[in-house]
Amino acid sequence: MTFRTKLLLLTSLTVTGAVALVTGAVAVSTRRAFERIDVARREALLEQFRRELDARGQELSRRVEQIASSAAVEQISSGTAEYDRAQQEAQAQSLDFLDVLQPDLTIISSAHWPARFGYKNDWNIAPEDWQSPKSFLARIPMPEGSAVAVVSVRSSPGGKALVAGGRKLNPELLKSLGIAPGMRALLWRAPDDLIDAQGVVQDAAKLGPLIAKVKASGQESTATVRWGAPRSSSEAFLGIPLSERGQLMGVLLAGTSLREEMDLENAILWIGLLVGGSGIAIGILLGWWTTQRVTHPVEQLAAGARSVAAGDWSARVEVASHDEIGELAQAFNQMTQHLVEQRDRAIQAERVAAWRELARRLAHELKNPLFPLQITIENLQRARERSAAEFDEVFREGTTALLAELSNLKTIVGRFSDFAKMPAPQFEQVEVNELVRRTLKLYDARLRAEGRAPISLRLELADGELPVAADSDQLRRALSNLVLNAMDAMPDGGTLRVATAKIEDDIRISVADTGQGLTLEECGRLFTPYYTTKHHGTGLGLAIVQSVVSDHHGKISVVSEPGHGSTFMIELPLKQGGSV
Amino acid sequence: MKRIPSRWIAAASALVALGMVYGARRPRYGGELRVEMRAALRTLDPADSDPSTMGARAQLIPAVFETLVRFDEHGDPQACLATSWSHDAGRKRWVFTARANVLLHNGTPWSPKGGVIELADDRPIAAILRELSQPANAIVVRAEDGTLLGTGPFRIARWEAEKSARLAAHNGYWAGRPFLDAVEIRMGRPLRDQEMDLESGKTDVAEILVTDGRRLRQKGVGIASTPFTETLALVFENPRVPDATREALALSIDRATINNVLLQKQGEPSAALLPRWLSGYSFLFPTVRNIARAKQLAASAAPLAFAYDKQDAILRPIGERIAVNASEAGITLKTSNGPADVRLLSLPITSRDSWTSLEGLAAMLKLGLPRTGSEFEAESALLNGYRVIPLVHLPRMWATSGAVINWPRLADVWLDVLDPKGKP
Repeated sequence: MTFRTKLLLLTSLTVTGAVALVTGAVAVSTRRAFERIDVARREALLEQFRRELDARGQELSRRVEQIASSAAVEQISSGTAEYDRAQQEAQAQSLDFLDVLQPDLTIISSAHWPARFGYKNDWNIAPEDWQSPKSFLARIPMPEGSAVAVVSVRSSPGGKALVAGGRKLNPELLKSLGIAPGMRALLWRAPDDLIDAQGVVQDAAKLGPLIAKVKASGQESTATVRWGAPRSSSEAFLGIPLSERGQLMGVLLAGTSLREEMDLENAILWIGLLVGGSGIAIGILLGWWTTQRVTHPVEQLAAGARSVAAGDWSARVEVASHDEIGELAQAFNQMTQHLVEQRDRAIQAERVAAWRELARRLAHELKNPLFPLQITIENLQRARERSAAEFDEVFREGTTALLAELSNLKTIVGRFSDFAKMPAPQFEQVEVNELVRRTLKLYDARLRAEGRAPISLRLELADGELPVAADSDQLRRALSNLVLNAMDAMPDGGTLRVATAKIEDDIRISVADTGQGLTLEECGRLFTPYYTTKHHGTGLGLAIVQSVVSDHHGKISVVSEPGHGSTFMIELPLKQGGSV
Repeated sequence: MKRIPSRWIAAASALVALGMVYGARRPRYGGELRVEMRAALRTLDPADSDPSTMGARAQLIPAVFETLVRFDEHGDPQACLATSWSHDAGRKRWVFTARANVLLHNGTPWSPKGGVIELADDRPIAAILRELSQPANAIVVRAEDGTLLGTGPFRIARWEAEKSARLAAHNGYWAGRPFLDAVEIRMGRPLRDQEMDLESGKTDVAEILVTDGRRLRQKGVGIASTPFTETLALVFENPRVPDATREALALSIDRATINNVLLQKQGEPSAALLPRWLSGYSFLFPTVRNIARAKQLAASAAPLAFAYDKQDAILRPIGERIAVNASEAGITLKTSNGPADVRLLSLPITSRDSWTSLEGLAAMLKLGLPRTGSEFEAESALLNGYRVIPLVHLPRMWATSGAVINWPRLADVWLDVLDPKGKP
């Protein structure tokens, strides 16, 4: 992942996280505010319901009192009225339920169930309630089930009859509550019906679990009901049990529409998404602009570093700012400048050293033949002063020696000349294993020559053919130099190991000896022309090897450790295809 | 001047008063009687057998169409269009002698061939007479224009099916012209409308509920009624209801309270199909309530679908009371508007003959009636198994204006006061 991607990702995540955090915090705060409002509204609703119930109870008591003191009850109790006379009285006082009873609670006349005359009243009213001036809730049996009602009981003047009247907990009661917008009140009436201000609620199944929970626990309980597919159709309900002396008469359900809350949450969510999206877009733009400013110089530095690594030490980067990146670019430019200067100085020093070494070698090489030449010439001069016969003899011997030394000088000069004018390789397809075998065959006799310490040859050639595009003469010459060097490194005998191997797309030729090895410094200077560790060498052998290998687009390296011999390795590119 | 003794004056005054009373109650001819009824009759053809209008038809048909024989209020056969009847030696052929000088409503004589009507029937004569007295066997002649012609005291002057009808006096009636000139009938009138029309003088006769009789009588309204001619009964329509449940329901019902409170003692609590005046033995069927036994029998009884006409002011409270009684015994009666296990019905008694009435009830209830033995045995067989539980017998009741005399027998009705135009 690039720095730019990381930076963009970080910016986006930061913006998104911040917006999400703010949105979440606002949403939670909003929800809690709504919940507090809901709780307050529900408490107000419950209080209003109780007040309304009390008011209705007082009104009911007044009406029941009127009936109890009416002439009709006197007629009913005395048996002179029709059996269903209570219906007229109930209708006149707008009561849903009315029983005129004998003191032993036998029904004389019933408004809501006229056929029950002669039977005992069974409204499950506690004995103390018959003496209570207050109203209360009771479950009243009906021909089809039962109904919950506010009930009040009174005694007729003279106590000949009891009058029990009741009014249903009906939609009118809920309608009179003055409910706040967004709220509604429902009433579940035992045994099983549910009403709201409009009447019987048909779709009551979804409220069933809440009602069942309140019925089972006798405690307040809450639930959220979702009426349709959209979330905004949800409604939060608080179920409040309405009990009378431990008997559940009904459950008041205070419902609050979550539409406003959901709408606000949705608005917050959308604003959050909008702000977040905008933030992300702005973040991307800012990030892009920032990364452009930050990464572009870095990329320039990276490109410069790659140029330097590729050998272009003149690479420079633009210093576009004065911040840390600018300082870094400036330091890079200084670094490359210093590198170039150091390289130039090193090259110059190397050249000086090479010239010095060349001079030393030339002096050394030339000094050896020159000294015999000088001696010979001095002998000739001294012999001239002596007898002619002696001079002739010395002359013959002297000229022979001079010629020999001159030949020697010529050889030395020729080798230098050869190195100076190394010809361009003539490439052809060469099979490396075969070339190695032929080259080593030339040294069989020398390896087994008497009078020298024995050197055993270990040939480890790779299986199959190893074709390379090479100048076979130059490659053989390079290999011969390595073999001769190895033999020279083992004056006391040892093992010469020559191996070939295929390593990926290259061919490696290894020549190893078990001689005394080389120091690290020697390894570093081995391929410098005219450098040698041998007393009789010209220092051109390995330089020639390196030149050949370089002309073959290969490379040469040495691994050595003092006391453990040295291994020279030539790596050449494997010939691909058949063309040369 | 000779002083007239005061006792003579008193005697003369008494005679005058007596004469006035006698004169006021003496039948008068003329006038039009206005009658309203709930039933909406399609036709007055005796062959029609709509059970829902049976009561009204039973009242009107005899005023228009006559049978060969009829039964009086004591249940005895009386001659009508047949003056006598005889049989052959084997009692398999009966000859009824037709009454002479009988005119049809269009003035043509009714004269069966040879003046006799022959029947090949080997049943006992009582059974034959019962059948001949049925309205369905009345003498009806269809005129060329489709008009139904009978021999009764009234003829059909106008007939608007299910709306109204006018019966005019048959001047050639063999037993003498009826007192009334005509009877105007409005059909399909609710009870409340009838009562209002009576109060406002728009009708002379209005049907009333038996429970309204006392109230109207207290208001000074004339009340006329028949003997007990309806039997309220529970009829099990689901034959799979166990016998024990049926018996439990029968034992749970408090007939006395139903009659005393709901019907204001206007009925006759009974466990028999036929009222006592007709059969004479209805008291033999016990009406005692036994709630303890009912509870035993009803143990683990399944709820029953219970139906009755909720619009009927008589049936509705009785149905509700029965449900309460049954509940006390542990039987749940669930009110049903459709198919029912048990239904509360009003069964009309259309004949003054007990056998005929039993046959009619058996046919109506689709129960088999044994043809042998006494009426009591036959009725016992009908009631065995509690497929039918009789509750109470009720009369039909009318409120009449003060001028109407002798209602509900149309042939004998006359109007006491006539205005100058001949209207009461």
